[in-house]
Amino acid sequence: MPKTVVPIGPQHPLLKEPLSFLLTVEGERVVDSSLRLGYVYRGIERLCQDRNYTQNLHLFERVCGICSYVHTLVYCQGVEALLGLQVPLRAQYLRVLMCELERIHSHLLWLGVLAENMGLTTIFMYAWRERETVLDIMEELSGGRVTHAANVIGGVRLNPKVDQTTFDQIAARLRGMVAQVEEFQDMVLNERTLQARTQGVGLLSAEQIRRYCVVGPTARASGVDVDLRRDAPYAAYDRLNVRVITHQAGDVWARTLVRVQEVLVSMQVCQQVLSEMPAGPLTVKVPRRVPTGEVVSRAEAPRGELIYYLRSDGSDKPARVHIRTPTLPSLATMGEQLRNINTADVSAVLSGVDLCIACADR
Amino acid sequence: MDINDVLRILKERCAPQLTVRTLPLGETVVELTPEQLRPAVETLIGQCGVCHLSTITGDDTGREIVLLYHFWEGVGLTLRVLLPREQAVISTLIDLIPGAAFYEREVTEMLDIMFEWHPMSTHLFLPDDWHSDAPLRKQVQDA
Repeated sequence: MPKTVVPIGPQHPLLKEPLSFLLTVEGERVVDSSLRLGYVYRGIERLCQDRNYTQNLHLFERVCGICSYVHTLVYCQGVEALLGLQVPLRAQYLRVLMCELERIHSHLLWLGVLAENMGLTTIFMYAWRERETVLDIMEELSGGRVTHAANVIGGVRLNPKVDQTTFDQIAARLRGMVAQVEEFQDMVLNERTLQARTQGVGLLSAEQIRRYCVVGPTARASGVDVDLRRDAPYAAYDRLNVRVITHQAGDVWARTLVRVQEVLVSMQVCQQVLSEMPAGPLTVKVPRRVPTGEVVSRAEAPRGELIYYLRSDGSDKPARVHIRTPTLPSLATMGEQLRNINTADVSAVLSGVDLCIACADR
Repeated sequence: MDINDVLRILKERCAPQLTVRTLPLGETVVELTPEQLRPAVETLIGQCGVCHLSTITGDDTGREIVLLYHFWEGVGLTLRVLLPREQAVISTLIDLIPGAAFYEREVTEMLDIMFEWHPMSTHLFLPDDWHSDAPLRKQVQDA
């Protein structure tokens, strides 16, 4: 049978961001694939060397339009470690709150994208409706829906109108979302159309996950029990109960279930943070120059382990920052996931790993 | 496995004179020569169960190229290797860790370092018509 090359991207309805896949198909079977990144490469690692540590906060927040908060968190905790700063406890709790809200909205965004790409428009509508509530909460806390500018080196910056009443209202609104997210969980567990499109599709074994160094929900859906919130607690995670969700199936269905259940866990963590929120200052005073040194800073972003390497030469600008976002190792598995599958499953496979291309390109 | 056990095994099998330091957030950094890197990674995977390579950082300090292989297995472990700025060549790890492929390609594009036996052909991040110097090399930054 003759082979045909089918381009998916860089502009394609399946992809919300620019990325190029070339699929080689024989009839209805995909037999090979290649991918090309770089369509949103902005040279951020080079740009940050010309900006001081405070200016770089705004740059790193723009690495990603979905998990913008966790990027500044990882950067800040790296710089704070170089400075030897102890961030106030209230700020640590608020960082967890923002991280978990971001995880909820990122997972719901992904659920909507997956559903839409598979033609399940109702789930898409419901998922994005719930996500709006979270974006509203984040806007109320920080003033921004996507870029929050809520982290500063040495603490957090918050809408000055936020008080205990605000926290109580947020807790009530999150409680109001639980029933809908549980309904999503029921859909994943019981809805036959969704299962038919996702079960046995995009399979990755635990061994493949380890070989390709895959992280986050994609790894947990293949039975790899790893989560930095529990394994290497940062911010206030050592004081909170984080249940790590894993499943063994390793397909798109398991990834869906893991993410939906992680939304429920994140809601519980948010409730605990809001009920135990300590009083106190939000920031500490920070010197302008950072002493010479290196640091490796990690955190569990919505898509998994996010890592920043920072080197300071003692000036007010970083000498080197390297960022590895969790999408990059997931992309490395696409060749294996796309091989020998039906072309109709390409949409589920591409959506299933929750690609964030701006993150991967930087 | 405890980090001290990992370091002991590395010392016994790969580098008797192991230089070790700890970074502020707890990352352990081990200094290696380029020749020691591959046996060290084989030991980490085979003897210590450390196989998650988080990323590879390439850093042009102006005097030499520093390659940092950041591993994670409950604790952070970074293998630090120095390369000369001219003709910077090191062995690839993709046969041991397939996930290293993109990391090595990125370091090659950004810092013009050759990974021996890496089957890369085209750019991954930079435009196809990019024929200038590697963007993160110092002479580009100082221009």
